[in-house]
Amino acid sequence: MTSSDGIAARLRDVVFSYDRGADLDTADLSADADPDDREGPVLRGLDLDVPAGSFTVVMGASGGGKSTMLRTLNAIIPDFIDGSFRGEVNVLGRDATQTRVSEMAHDAGMVLQDYESQLFGTSVEAEVAFGPENLAVPPEDIGPRIDESLSLVGLPDLDRRREPSGLSGGQKQRLVFAGVAATRPDLLVLDEPTSDLDPKGTRDIVDVVTRLSEQEGQGWSGPETIVMVTHKIEEALLADRAVLLKGGKAFRSGPLQEVFTDVEALREARVAVPPLVEAFDALGWPDEDLPLVPKTAAEQVRASDLTYTGPKNPEQAPAGTGAETGEMLFELNDVEYAYETDRGPVTAVDGVDMAVREGEVVALVGHNGSGKTTLAKHFNGLHAADAGDVTYKGRSVPDYRMSEIGREVGYVFQNPDHQIFADTVREEVAFGPENFGLEGEELDRRVDHALETVELDGLDDEDPFSFSKGQRQRVALAGILATDPEVIVFDEPTTGLDAAQQRQFMDLVGKLNREEGLTVVMVTHDMATVARYAPRTVVMQDGRVAYDRATRDLFADESLLAQYDLVAPHPTELANHVRDDDDAPALTAEELVTALGGEGVYSGGEQ
Amino acid sequence: MSDSTSLYVDGDSLLHRLDPRSKLALSLALFVPAYVFGRPEYIAIPLVVAFAGLLAGGGWRNLKRIWFILVALFVVGLVLWPNFVEPSGPTLVDAGPILLTLDQLLFALGRSLRIATFVVTGLAYISTTANEELVRGMRGLGIPYAFCFAVGTALRLFPTFLGAAGTVRQAQEARGLDLSASNPIERIRNFVPLLIPVFMTAFRNVETQSMALEARGFDTRRERTFYRESAFAVRDWAAVALAVAVVVGAVALSSTGVGTF
Repeated sequence: MTSSDGIAARLRDVVFSYDRGADLDTADLSADADPDDREGPVLRGLDLDVPAGSFTVVMGASGGGKSTMLRTLNAIIPDFIDGSFRGEVNVLGRDATQTRVSEMAHDAGMVLQDYESQLFGTSVEAEVAFGPENLAVPPEDIGPRIDESLSLVGLPDLDRRREPSGLSGGQKQRLVFAGVAATRPDLLVLDEPTSDLDPKGTRDIVDVVTRLSEQEGQGWSGPETIVMVTHKIEEALLADRAVLLKGGKAFRSGPLQEVFTDVEALREARVAVPPLVEAFDALGWPDEDLPLVPKTAAEQVRASDLTYTGPKNPEQAPAGTGAETGEMLFELNDVEYAYETDRGPVTAVDGVDMAVREGEVVALVGHNGSGKTTLAKHFNGLHAADAGDVTYKGRSVPDYRMSEIGREVGYVFQNPDHQIFADTVREEVAFGPENFGLEGEELDRRVDHALETVELDGLDDEDPFSFSKGQRQRVALAGILATDPEVIVFDEPTTGLDAAQQRQFMDLVGKLNREEGLTVVMVTHDMATVARYAPRTVVMQDGRVAYDRATRDLFADESLLAQYDLVAPHPTELANHVRDDDDAPALTAEELVTALGGEGVYSGGEQ
Repeated sequence: MSDSTSLYVDGDSLLHRLDPRSKLALSLALFVPAYVFGRPEYIAIPLVVAFAGLLAGGGWRNLKRIWFILVALFVVGLVLWPNFVEPSGPTLVDAGPILLTLDQLLFALGRSLRIATFVVTGLAYISTTANEELVRGMRGLGIPYAFCFAVGTALRLFPTFLGAAGTVRQAQEARGLDLSASNPIERIRNFVPLLIPVFMTAFRNVETQSMALEARGFDTRRERTFYRESAFAVRDWAAVALAVAVVVGAVALSSTGVGTF
């Protein structure tokens, strides 16, 4: 199905705007797109070749056009999404601009981030059969395809009659992959397939993608070409080619190693520089020798004359957060909580003891279903313990009225869209404080301050629904900050944000902790965030606290990490390879540079 | 952590194995008698059968879910219907403005049983018929596939929708939203911060969903195949024959005045 020149997808001068009436001829295509600007073309004259047989990863800042570009590969743009389109898209020998999405589905399969929206069947079997049925595959051929696809995604023994809704997030996403694999596409398009998953789910998907790219299928040899958008460096490393998008154009493209070691290009495209690349660049290694994975990096350190000396204050978080602790805020005593379900109560929190002091930054980690979010909801009384007790400043949390505890303990939900409702940013941010009885000048002052803190001042009258995800997340945070809480509980604060936005958001949280003593409890899957900002980590397993000590000690112990299914950030993994037992591991690229002697310390192999 | 299962209860009962179309015929065989007869002792029969079907099909869990609605419908009917009937027959209650005769009570009881029969029969059908089956059955009756698919999807999405609504409610309560206001106008106003995020989220989901749908090759205008398309079995013909007999019998009997007022 590939065109004769070995190119699976060829894009030429592709311009696309979500605005239906946009005049593409007069639009300014040269300007760098502002990632928070929702107007104007998203693709601005994109030229791109995806070689057949390649695994290409596409990275770039939010608003850079990554997802939009992917959607041109299976004709969703321009066939399905209304907008203004111009340009040539040739996919597997077809003119994709003149083909219906359902027609492209014969050759191109797509997996998106949100697995819930991609499951259509009421049983595992019906789900996998759905694609082949749509493509009019004869019924007798569908059975073997179901078997083949389920084993490809590592679910060969899953009960075929089981309802997908009862599966874990990772299993659901693997089922989506199976459904797409059953249509046997030549081109597989992946849009952040692991962004909504926990570390274990992510690893399972990485395995699936690896298996698909290695073409080990029995009846079918896997997709010839894969194109994937991701923010996660670990996943990007699966690919052999990389494309950086910036301002709706391909800014760099080439072999993975070449693109990912071009520190300047990565920075300019607002893509997170792989932490090892960042560290080794700072240490003075030449561009062509910058390592991507800890194992290679460790070999390079051993071959050099550098020695590793652990951080001087290992009890501190690299971001300097959570350092000052004051009075006792929360005390949890043998807390139990069960959900009522049709099949009887299901225990989510099973005997948790825990304490949080003022000024702490505590990370709450564990698998989906380990009970961490359920536990977090006890801090502001959204859940009341079935047994045991939760106290805030010595008083039982359920004894507070919501209007009392809500002012002191803010809760930022994972998805800002679950709370944004007002017409203007100001109205949205004022909602909480108004409910808590604030009015007049005091209210205005609080709202102004909160908007300034999240850097949205001046946008008071804008419609929050028109904002980017990063901005909406900040509106939600401002709505909590405006009540001037002492504690904020974050549930997955950085999901859906790109590297730059994540850093901006977490630095903001860190600043509030350092400067205003804000106490932070954060539920997260992102180990880089845990490492940088939280000096203390609580690991939940099956509703119980499995670990509650220093983050650095957790990341120093590979056997503990394996036991909890966690993966340390790359700089830590490298440090664990090269350090002495009594040295503490570095948690970030910056700490790694210091531990190995500082910037520019490397001056070539042998001396 | 929400337990968002659909109304379908997987199982292998006779009702599960029947073709969705023959099951529809059986449902009609309960609907029609409940409709044409008026006397409670006659309507009790299809109701009992519907209950038996629901339990045999494993629908107990769904009955628990809607128990409250069923009882409410039943009681409200029982209270309201006597007001629409001329009082006749022996008087049961005569307390000033409240007058209730035996005929009024029996009439109301019949109407409430009728509603209950409809609900329980429908529930038994949905509990034993997977969405795919439902869609297939509707299509087998000549209904356009696009419409059938929309109905199936709506049924599937309902629990997801409820889950999102629960999260929104918690998010707003954490921001001090008080849903227990006593003033009714205040109360309605307080629902705005709930409804807007719920609908906006649903709207965004629908967009992603329809995109994912087409990307999987879904196209109502093209030919498709059906994995596990079951043929009409002997038991299905038997079920249809039974249903026809019951419907014809019930209509004939009631037209001669049996079981009616």
